[in-house]
Amino acid sequence: MAALLFGQQFKINLDHLAAKASDSVDVSLDKNMLQFAGKFLSSKEPDEAKAKALIGGLEGIYIKSFEFNKDGAWGQTDLDQVRNQLKAPEWGRIFGVKSSEDQENVEVFVRNEAGKVTGVAILATAPREFTVANIVGNISLESLADLGGQFGLPKMKGAPEPSPKKKEE
Amino acid sequence: MDWLEEELKNALSRRQPSEGFDGRIAAEVRRSKVASFPRKWLAAAAALIVLAGAGEGYREFRGQQAKEQVMLAMRIAGGKLNRVHMQIAGEKQ
Repeated sequence: MAALLFGQQFKINLDHLAAKASDSVDVSLDKNMLQFAGKFLSSKEPDEAKAKALIGGLEGIYIKSFEFNKDGAWGQTDLDQVRNQLKAPEWGRIFGVKSSEDQENVEVFVRNEAGKVTGVAILATAPREFTVANIVGNISLESLADLGGQFGLPKMKGAPEPSPKKKEE
Repeated sequence: MDWLEEELKNALSRRQPSEGFDGRIAAEVRRSKVASFPRKWLAAAAALIVLAGAGEGYREFRGQQAKEQVMLAMRIAGGKLNRVHMQIAGEKQ
């Protein structure tokens, strides 16, 4: 099993998928690196300013994402070894959506410690994609989803609006 | 005493230095010290400036890398969450 990186809340042991992937992303940012990155995020660029505000309360971000040229590159055991760690009482599954259109499944788990949200796990799979994210710390899911919409993903009409927040810039 | 001995005796005889001789020697020693002192330190200072510049350049590089990683992470995680939002909203409609 891969070692748990400092601050990471569950193991992401998917290195064997990297060799099969056509594209892979490996993000590993602990609190120090997030603070360091924050100094380089502009408060004048809207998306950077939002990202800067979001990372302020975070302890770490760990993401592994793989894209494949063909189906079947990842297996149920890969999914299970992540899912099996995201269990009660620490973890609770708050969303799970399946898209029949592109067969993408996205599950969102939240970690609770002493009644406080201390982390989020996102598990997204499609026949040619496998993505696991662990965002450590207290994060606004609405704000993060809002940022996701800013990054070129069209927001569906009628999609829930992020909760009111302070005007930035 | 023949003429040769006389010449040697004159040549090797003890003479008083001219007026201000010690001052001129001391001034020359100071001048040579002053001249060589900055060259060493200038080289060291130049090396430090180069190192500091390289360090700052590396810091900037690492900072930009970290920033790109944050933005990439937000893009991926935010994109997935936005997907969930869209799906849920679609089901509600």
